[in-house]
Amino acid sequence: MEWTRKDLLSLYDLNAEEIECILDTAAEFKKVSQRRVKKVPALRGKTVVNFFVEPSTRTRVSFELAEQRLSADVVNMQAQSSSLLKGETLLDTVKNIEALQVDLVVMRHSATGAQAFIASKLKCGVINAGDGAHSHPTQALLDIFTMREKKGTVKGLKVTILGDILHSRVARSNMWGLLKLGAHVTLAGPSTLVPREFESVPGVRVCHNLEEAVEGADVVNLLRIQHERQTAGFFPGIGEYARFFGINSDNMKLMKPDVLIMHPGPINRDVELSGEVADCSNSVILEQVTNGLAIRMAVLFLVAGCVKK
Amino acid sequence: MTKGKQLFSAADIDGAVGKIASGIGDEFKGDFRECALVGIHQQGVPLAERICRALEKKFGSAPVLGKLDISMYRDDIGNRMRLPPIRETEIPFDVNGSSIILVDDVLSTGRTIRAALDALTDYGRAGLIRLAVLVDRGNPEFPIRADYVGFTAHPPEKMKVVVRFEEDGEPGIYAVEWKNQNL
Repeated sequence: MEWTRKDLLSLYDLNAEEIECILDTAAEFKKVSQRRVKKVPALRGKTVVNFFVEPSTRTRVSFELAEQRLSADVVNMQAQSSSLLKGETLLDTVKNIEALQVDLVVMRHSATGAQAFIASKLKCGVINAGDGAHSHPTQALLDIFTMREKKGTVKGLKVTILGDILHSRVARSNMWGLLKLGAHVTLAGPSTLVPREFESVPGVRVCHNLEEAVEGADVVNLLRIQHERQTAGFFPGIGEYARFFGINSDNMKLMKPDVLIMHPGPINRDVELSGEVADCSNSVILEQVTNGLAIRMAVLFLVAGCVKK
Repeated sequence: MTKGKQLFSAADIDGAVGKIASGIGDEFKGDFRECALVGIHQQGVPLAERICRALEKKFGSAPVLGKLDISMYRDDIGNRMRLPPIRETEIPFDVNGSSIILVDDVLSTGRTIRAALDALTDYGRAGLIRLAVLVDRGNPEFPIRADYVGFTAHPPEKMKVVVRFEEDGEPGIYAVEWKNQNL
């Protein structure tokens, strides 16, 4: 199939074929980073703006490196130093960027739907690097790519996503992508952070008990616990969270022996997972980072091919 | 996809593959140890495999086989709404110092070969690079020519030359109208 979208906003919008297309393309781009010359001229002459209204280090660096390896010209914009502080509207800001003959905008924003709004108004391609608690498609794609690479297929896999599901765009994007590819999804964590409403999505199981959630799992994807949630009263303390929901070598015995332990990063050792688990052979956390670069190169490449002059 | 007008038959293709293999064998005097055949996706790949088998049959040995997808090196990204899917690139040998024979089914504008040369250069410094094509349309837009040619054919510009092998059904070489094509 051929990719036909000028934007990548959410995995919810894509069908299984489109997701597989991104994964297949990423498999080829992964090889580029293993070569002597880690660069291809695919996006030479194209300009990409990384517009991170909500700050980021890891995702932004990953995108920036992906853009450079595609030979694109890169401009980074952060909210703190932008005209938004001077009262310019988001749309005016982005239209000004477009007036500089920019081809692609990679954007992160704290408001859900900001990227979708922008994409409908601009001729440039828009890639969502995270909007509110809604969507983070490239993270979910790299997670799914990692699972497919290690397990051969995603179909039928028992995947448990564990942690603060309520506030997580990573969890939501993973959920949509995994369901489209036929995986079984369990969303797990404290009841304050994993609402039962998610069970209204066909194929999703909600679990507030760790042992039940991870029993027989092929993949356990851990979400970072944010300290702000603690002070907001979602759980009594980090220590208590770690005791009831932290992954360690004991509860790992409930999972399949070749389970994949995943985490979008940055990890909190001895909170979401023990140091031992983070460093064990089932952990593919560092490979996720490598795969993230390949996925972002693939997404930039595919989207750039559809941006009309 | 419409069948199109047949220019050459399956038997003609076999004959041409044999002719190309003989040419390659003569140049390398049957010694393919430093040699590689690299097929360019899509149809350069099955063609390279056939040339390899023909060399094996004639000379008892054959060059190592590789495949190359040039999508990342195209000069028209963004000009086409539909991008063909990226296929597998496999270069299972050290390009540095190697004698590489690029293989493609049809030589037309020469832009695909230009992209292939850039791709190979990123892998290393080849000793020499030759080009083998089944059909040369004789209308290059770049100063690129093939070293081994199966046939020359000059259908009108608006027709695409399509090579079909046994696995595609109805093997042969056809001239098909552009608008019905899947890239």
